[in-house]
Order: sequence, then structure tokens, then C-alpha cells
Amino acid sequence: MTDRIAPVLTLIAALALLPAGGSAETYRWIDEQGNVTYSNRPPQPREVLPTPETRPAPETKPAPELKAPDAKAPEPKTPETKTPQAKTPDAKTPEARAPEPPGTRDAKATVPPTQIPRAGPTKVDELLELSGVRAQLVGLLNRVVLDLRPPSGQMSAADLATIDRILAQSLRHEAVYGAVRDAFRPQVDRPNLEAAAAWLRTPVARKIVAMEIASSEPSAEQKVADYAAMVKANPPPARRLELLQRLDWVTGANETSADLVAAIARGLSTAVSAAGPPESRLRPGQIEDRAAQVRARAQETLREVRTMSMLYTYQALEDDELAEYVRFSGSDAGRWYNTAMRKALVGAIGKVVEQTATELVRAVPLERWARAAMPAPHPVK
Amino acid sequence: MTTQAMRALGSAIALMLCTALGAAAQERPAPAAPSSDLDRAQAAFQAGRHAEALASARRAADAAPTSVRALTARAGMAEFMGEFDEARTVYDRAGALAPDDPDTIDRTASFAARMGEYDRALAQLDRLLALHPRHVRWLFQWAPTSLQASLLRDHPSLERIVQIKLDILTEKGALEQARRMARAYAIVQPGQNYCDQARERSRAGAERDEIFKAFRLATLGQPDAADCIWWYGQWLSDEGYVRLGRLMVIEGTRVTSSGNKESGARYLKIRLGGNREVSKRAEQMFLIARQRYLRHGDVDGAMRLFDETIRLAPTFARPYNYRAAIAAELGDREAALAWLQRGLQADPDSWRTHRNLGKLLSDLERYPEAEMHLRKTVQLFGDDAGGRLALARVLYAQGKYDDFVREARTALAFLANWKAPVPEVQDFLAKFDRWGPGVALPPAPDPRTIIGWNYD
Repeated sequence: MTDRIAPVLTLIAALALLPAGGSAETYRWIDEQGNVTYSNRPPQPREVLPTPETRPAPETKPAPELKAPDAKAPEPKTPETKTPQAKTPDAKTPEARAPEPPGTRDAKATVPPTQIPRAGPTKVDELLELSGVRAQLVGLLNRVVLDLRPPSGQMSAADLATIDRILAQSLRHEAVYGAVRDAFRPQVDRPNLEAAAAWLRTPVARKIVAMEIASSEPSAEQKVADYAAMVKANPPPARRLELLQRLDWVTGANETSADLVAAIARGLSTAVSAAGPPESRLRPGQIEDRAAQVRARAQETLREVRTMSMLYTYQALEDDELAEYVRFSGSDAGRWYNTAMRKALVGAIGKVVEQTATELVRAVPLERWARAAMPAPHPVK
Repeated sequence: MTTQAMRALGSAIALMLCTALGAAAQERPAPAAPSSDLDRAQAAFQAGRHAEALASARRAADAAPTSVRALTARAGMAEFMGEFDEARTVYDRAGALAPDDPDTIDRTASFAARMGEYDRALAQLDRLLALHPRHVRWLFQWAPTSLQASLLRDHPSLERIVQIKLDILTEKGALEQARRMARAYAIVQPGQNYCDQARERSRAGAERDEIFKAFRLATLGQPDAADCIWWYGQWLSDEGYVRLGRLMVIEGTRVTSSGNKESGARYLKIRLGGNREVSKRAEQMFLIARQRYLRHGDVDGAMRLFDETIRLAPTFARPYNYRAAIAAELGDREAALAWLQRGLQADPDSWRTHRNLGKLLSDLERYPEAEMHLRKTVQLFGDDAGGRLALARVLYAQGKYDDFVREARTALAFLANWKAPVPEVQDFLAKFDRWGPGVALPPAPDPRTIIGWNYD
């Protein structure tokens, strides 16, 4: 199981698509009490209140609300517009029901964050909703599930069921989101938070967030590859490349992705080491060394894929709009937001992965993991 | 010292000890039947399970208290593990049982020299010499230099006597006397360029201890070879031989050109603790503690020996740094901070301690404090490019961008002279110049550009 750190690198493909968060494959629904729930599993029939957003039914593949970058993104609504599915950010969400085996869903709904009505100071939940992090977290968790779950046929059905149960339980979106939010809160700087929220409510920011979520769908991976082939024949203008590189620079996105990979490696190593025999346990310093090595490798790979992912993601954006994004990201508020989000995500995800892996190796002994073949790595484009 | 080199040296030491143990077994039948514990001890030692080896050797010696072989094996392993009191007691017992046993006398002399008990060591060497036939002794004392080389070749124990005496004289600061002796016994020959030979071995990538021996010869055979003497001093410093390291750096500084003398004085002050007292026993304890930590991964044993070193030499900064490293490795960064702060109380001019503390504080995002210690680091040692890059990062983290640029450029210019480019820093700086500050902090690599300075 120690060697299962390697598959963590497959996360790079997903991470590379993100400016500062995770990739998204989101199920979002509103229950009968009006609670908004995000999850990495489809809503169960009894959980869902039929709304335009949750239609069609889970077994039917819904059309994404936004088809960027293949189609021109719809004009976002004005920030003050109330939408039927809008929910106060601090509303309680229901506990997860009986867990679905991960990776078995056949329906998905990638939903850009909705506009949230203004009423007094912006809440942290509101900010995270606006920025798309809340939605994109689902995709990141899905990717973690994929990497932690042995492929079918490599383990007994009983072990696989146990693993699925733990993954579904431990990587519940709402719980992980709560952890991210809790890690974000101590870093709140009110003026910067308000400035960031104000930017995120602008039409151009809504458009950008929607594009980021859309391009983080699993299907986007193939689209990026196709796009890369196209770009080879028809290189982008220098100004566009410059803007994207600058965006990467001001947001520190590459570093955030590498930090996330390292946090996951650290969490896995810690859990696996603790489950091993005392004489072969790694000391915290040794685990740090491993995480640093994984990070260095991830950073190299990320560098290669990042520009192409960004070219693809923002292809429908005008240069002026991209420049506006760069300007915000380089402002005090933008820098604060990206720094705080990086810390929150890295801390929370690392902790969640460690807890999940601890559960996994407690329930299924290391020897049985060792016998299972490694999953085929997802291609990094 | 590189990991590979440390391993090589470790193997060499282990091999030496095992060979000695094996030789002891061959030389004389044990009065008592050798116990299987002794075999187990030797096997465990060869396998690198040193604590287990010592435990087995103790059992073997307890089971056969009149076995010189068992006693010397136990004493040797105890010495190797830094259990000096035990080693001394057991060597004494072996010596009492076999007063004329050359191997026991040799080992006792070597151990006494290691502990800095020079008179005792010399007395043992006299006893060892006395065991040789009269004509051999006469030749050893009176034959011309031209005959000494073959005499020492025919009688290895005589060469041992010479080499230990050379070390004792050097350690006592009688370098001229040591040089005369080395010439008299043909350890060094006139007209030989040992310095060039040592450099050649170094360039050819010879084993580190082989290079060390070559530079030792240069120190003995070429009194004016300032660079080689200086190199030898640095090598000794790297290894933790702080006492002899100081003597060699002082000697190298004495014979170097006037332009380099300030550098030597600074080295003594910021790396070797100036003239702070470090007893031979404390120094040797430190060496073994370091070996147990770095090479054997024996954290508990190393901690105990580092603590004992600190008790014996409270103003010696290096063991505090290792205690901090262990604390950090065990995940207790607050304890690591405390050890480094104690290290600075012990020696406020310790460059390495300021550096380690600054970097740890930086990791903890305590940037103003980190800046203070990293500024002191580069103030103490301006050529420390890695320390300067760490300072640049801390300045950037605090939004002190002008200072960041200045420090990063200074480090880059220095590294360019050493042909050690750091493209990631250059790239970062270029982006900063073009686009202003980004969210990510600048990289702070620690290139190994300065011989020896990376091993504290």
C-alpha cells in the first residue's frame, strides 16, 4: 500500500485543469426541506425535490447547463437575481444516506455556482460557492476515490464492498467541504473577502467560474487532448499565451496543485506507515521527504500540461476578459483569496485522505492491498 | 560527507572491527570455549545490527569472563557504539587477563588516544614496542630512515605505533614534531607532491577516507601546502573532528597568503566554535552519535549520545543542531526550535545554527523571526548562497520585494561564478520582473557549492 503513492500522480491530470481548486463532477440537488446538497454520487429518488436543476431524473444524463468552451457560455445573470434553487449558504445539509459504490454513477450534472443574493456581509460559504470551489471539490474527491479504489477483480468482492463503503463515507462531499471551509475561516480578512466576492459577482467572473467547472468534467480530458492537436497546427497568439502564463503566475495555481499532490502523498504515507509493523514505520520527517519527492515530480508534469489546459478552458474568453481576471488575481484581494484557499484545500484534503486511508488499511489489511494489482494510471495529457 | 561516502566509511570501520575480531580469534585460543553469543554478535555486527551485536557480545563476555576474545569483542563493540565507560572497563579486564597480548595492547592504546588520554596511550605503545625482539626494537629506534620503510612493512604493529604517535603529536599541537617523525619513519618522502596526489585522488573520485589519508600525508609531508592543510581541516570539520579540525585550520591559516587569513579566522569562529572547549571525549561521543543517527538510523541511541555530548561540552553548537534535526524528524517542530535556540545560547556565532533556525522558522511561516536569523546567517558567511536564497524567500513572503530582488540577485551572481546555476530561481525572478509579485513563494534551493559547509 505504501507504493500506492504512485497513483496519486495520476491526480495531476485533474489538478492541472484547476486554477486553484479541484476538478468537478458534481451532483447537486435540493431536498424536500430546501437544503442544497453537493455530492459525488447522484441524488437518490427520495432525496430530491424536482426542480429545473435536477431534471432530468438521475438515470438520465443531463445536458450540462453550460457548454463552455465548446459553445459560447451563456450570459450569467446579474448578481442580485434570485434563482429558485438559491439557498442560504449556512443551511444544514442532510447527512449522506446509504453510500453508493464510487465510480458507478451513470448520471451527472455539472452545475456552475448560482448567484447568491446579497444580504449583509458576505459569508464564507457564499464566497466558496461563488468561486466554484464548493462545486469543484466533488470532482477532486471523485479523483481521489478513483486512485484509492483498486480496480474490479483485483480484490475479493467483500473487500471491495468494504472499500467502497469507506470511500463513500469518508469522502462525502459535504464533510470534506466543511473541512475546507473550517480551514479557510481562520484566514478570513474581511475587506479582502468582500472585494473578492464583489469580483466574483461580476458577469465576467461568473463566466470564468462556469468555464472552469465545465472544463473540469471528466469528458474534458479528451477534449483537451483534441484541442492540443489542433493548437499544434494552429498556435495561439503570443498575447494569449502571455496572459495565461501570467494568470498561472499570479494565482500560484501550479504550486497549489503540486501542494495538493504532496498533501495526498503525505496522508497516504502516514496512514500506511502507521498500519505497518513498528520496525518499518516511517518517521514524520521521512514522510515529509517522500511527500517532497512526490511534489517535485508532480510539479514537473504539471508544468507540461498546465498551459494547454488553460488554453482549452478559457478559449471562449476574450483577451480583455482574461486580462481582467489576471488583474483581479494580482490584486490584494486576489492574492489573499488564492493564498487562503491554497492553505485551506491543502490542509483539509491532506487530513481527509489520511483519515480515509487509515480507515481503509484498518478494514482491509495491507497484505491484501499489496496483492491487488496497481490500478492503471489515468493518462496525463 | 555524502551518504555514499559515509556508508563506505561505515563499512570500512565495520570491516576493520570484524577483521580485528576475526584476527583475535585466530591469534589465540580462548581460555573458555567461545560462546555462540559471540558468533551471533559478529554476525549481527556484520549485518549492521549494531545494538543487537553489542547485546550479544555482552552476553558472550558475561558467559566467558576469562575469554580475552569475548572481552575484546565486547569492548570493541562498546567503543563503536559510544559506550566509552564500558569499553574502558572491559579493555582493562582483557589487558589484565592477557598483559602481553599485542592486539589487546594495540586496541587499548588506540582507545586511550581516542579518549585524549595521551600519556596512557603512549605507555601502551611502549609496552607494545617492548614485545618485539630486541634487534627489531633497536632498528626501530636507531636505523636510518632508508631502512624504516621495509621494517614497518615487515612489522605492521610498528607502523601502528608510528601512526598512533603521529596522531597524538598532531592532536597535541606538536605538528612540527609529528612531521619530523613522519619523515624519520619514511611515512612521507622528500620530493613527493602529496598535495597533488591527494587532489588527483579527489578528482578521480576515490573513496573519501582514501582522499582523507592522502591529505593527511600532505599535511605531514608538505608544510607549505596551505590549500591542502586547509582542505584537511575542512574534512575533519565535516566529520566532526572539531579539535583536530581547528588545529589544521589554524595551521592552514598560518601558512596561507595574507589575503586568505581573514577567511580562516572566520571559519574558526562561525563553524568550529572559536575556542570553546570541546573535550576529546565529547568530540568522539558526538562523532559516534552522528554516525548512529545518520548511518544507522538509530534515533534513540543517537539522542542519548547527543545529550551526553551536550552535557560534556555545553558550548558546542553542533549536537544541538542534530537534536533539532531529530526532533523535526519525529514531527516535533516546537522542540526543534527549542533545541536550536539553546544552540544559539551556547554559541551565538554558530552560522549553521542561525541557518537551521531561520529555515525552520520560515517553514513555520514565522517570517520576521526567520528573517532575523537568516540575515545573521549571511552576515556571518556572505558566500552562503543557499542561506541567501532562503533569506530572499522570507523577504518575499513579507512583501519586501526590493530586498528580495537584491538578495536573490546576489546569490545568483555568486552561484554563476561557481557554475552552479539555479534555473528555477532565475525563472522566478524573470517572471517577477515582468509581472510583479505572484502568490507562490520563490524557490530556495540549497546548492552544495562550498566544500564541507553542507555537512554540519
